Amino acid sequence: MMKGVAKILITGAAGGQGRLVAHRAMADFDVCVVDREPMCEFENRAAVRGYVVDLMRRKFEDVIRHERPDAVVHLAFVRHFRTDLETRHKVNVAGTRLLLDYCAEYGVRQLVMLSSAYAYGALPENPSYLPEDAPLNVSRNYPEIRDIAEVDTLCSAFLWQHPEVRTAILRPVNVLGDSVHSAIGTYLKQSYVPTILGFDPMMQFLHEEDLARAILLAVERKLRGVFNVAGPGAVPLHVAVEESGGTHLPLPEIALRPLLQRLFGLGLYPVPPGAIDFIKYPCTVTDARFRAATGFQPEWNLREIFGHCREQRNQGAA
Amino acid sequence: MESARNLRPLPRTAEPGRRLSSGPTSPFVPNGVTDAAVDWILEAICRLAPDAISRVDAEVSRSLSRLPVRAGEYGYDPWGFSPQRFREPLLLLALLYRYYFRVDMQGQENFPEGRVLVIANHAGQLPADGAMLIAGAALESDPPRLLRAMAEYWMPTLPFIGALGTRMGAVVGTRQNCQELLAREEAVVAFPEGVRGLNKTWDQRYQLQRFGLGFMRLALETDTPILPVVILGSEEQAPSFANLKPLARLIGAPAFPITPFFPLLGPLGLLPLPAKYHVRVGPPMHFTGNPHDEDSVIGAFVAEVRREMASMIERERSARASWFL
Repeated sequence: MMKGVAKILITGAAGGQGRLVAHRAMADFDVCVVDREPMCEFENRAAVRGYVVDLMRRKFEDVIRHERPDAVVHLAFVRHFRTDLETRHKVNVAGTRLLLDYCAEYGVRQLVMLSSAYAYGALPENPSYLPEDAPLNVSRNYPEIRDIAEVDTLCSAFLWQHPEVRTAILRPVNVLGDSVHSAIGTYLKQSYVPTILGFDPMMQFLHEEDLARAILLAVERKLRGVFNVAGPGAVPLHVAVEESGGTHLPLPEIALRPLLQRLFGLGLYPVPPGAIDFIKYPCTVTDARFRAATGFQPEWNLREIFGHCREQRNQGAA
Repeated sequence: MESARNLRPLPRTAEPGRRLSSGPTSPFVPNGVTDAAVDWILEAICRLAPDAISRVDAEVSRSLSRLPVRAGEYGYDPWGFSPQRFREPLLLLALLYRYYFRVDMQGQENFPEGRVLVIANHAGQLPADGAMLIAGAALESDPPRLLRAMAEYWMPTLPFIGALGTRMGAVVGTRQNCQELLAREEAVVAFPEGVRGLNKTWDQRYQLQRFGLGFMRLALETDTPILPVVILGSEEQAPSFANLKPLARLIGAPAFPITPFFPLLGPLGLLPLPAKYHVRVGPPMHFTGNPHDEDSVIGAFVAEVRREMASMIERERSARASWFL
């Protein structure tokens, strides 16, 4: 189908996950990378063409028109709260909308977009294995990240409206690693890790390198559909905290919620209080569908993931 | 906390003298405040009745070493159950089982290999019957079985209680959880009367309340045998004269029973009386049919189970000598 080396376009390539995917993709693909931030590390590489453009700008359409990629990997999302919530929402939702339109218009044959298992929301009644058809309930108790569910839904609709673009939506669990700046990574690397007194939910973790591999597997196997990507297994939160070298700071929820609200409002803590539900109730998924479609097996087990976390913490301290 | 571990008369077989992790221990209250509470109670019992605890300790160790658990890294299964963390709750349950409710269990040889849906009657205001059934299956069945209780949706919202339930193998009672457990050949226990049975008044003792139909649909869907179990004694542990439903609604509780001691003695009045428990495990029942059939069809199957349990209850009631001895 694809003659010669397929061309892959990666959005958000200056981000942690984007860099990992781009480096891996170089071996097998003709790679072009896009980000609104400069990507120095790709500058002198013949195999990669970099474009510093904003997805929301007209120039991005020119890039796609000119490059005509066979596959697009969409990783350009704001996942932190350093910008205001409105901007975050606009970049994620409106940016994705534009990208989907371009994919349909310029003959992209494979689209892989990175959603998140957070879209399901952490609820007390969650089963231990959330399947892909479970409702996306995150807005019920964590409205600040509802854009994840909205982007996911936009892409699911696109998946059915445009069968000519094979669209894969990946919903990975908590991602840990060197490059990715995830909220959960920041949380676990604190010296005192606040947990909620009397709660100890099960959590799943995935290493960033395994996620990069999963993303490219989705491209290579030309996946179409929605897929959870779980890591090597689940452990209670207290094990994750201890194994990554942190110290528990269990606080009663009644104190933690207003405290977080205040600190977040003042810009002193990186996540809003909605995140509390994710350290209170489980949000664990089954990845049986993804494993069946790709044969994916995580290379990093939990001990290695947490061990790595602990090393980083020690380096930070030294 | 450490002192309790040192006082324990028998060495801990699971991981002697060591917490699960080698990470630094917290200078603050550990997240498992339940750990501290359970340790404190066990320590007190060590002082008061060293013989009793060493006897059940041996029994619990034997059971845990043979308990079939499919755990991942770090020894936890997907629902958060781990044999090491089950040890202390099971010690407490075993003490209650042997010395408080003095459970007489019979028919445990009826536990089949592989998946099974255990269906039992429910009474006594607090679910001590469920706890004793779990202890009985772990201690007296050969090989020991872990019964996974299907908990109400609000269990995980209760601090400590939810975490303790998880340590004892309970899972949130969703259909997917139940299907997944049965697919993994585990034993699931359900009380189809639910709170209707748990909080009924004394005048309705040993009258089975209306059964929910969900368990039968699951059994048909997953081709799982049903094991009828009757429990005697839970009715006598907390006879209630009335259930003040408006008051329960007001404080957000599932029921507000009036017993001889509650609310007269405050929270202390909630403690169950030392009734003697009789647990009878019946032979497995097999059903085949369309799991999505109308309620009337499923209801007929359910009625069969209910009839069987009612006749088991009558048999055992006439056979037992006394409520408390």
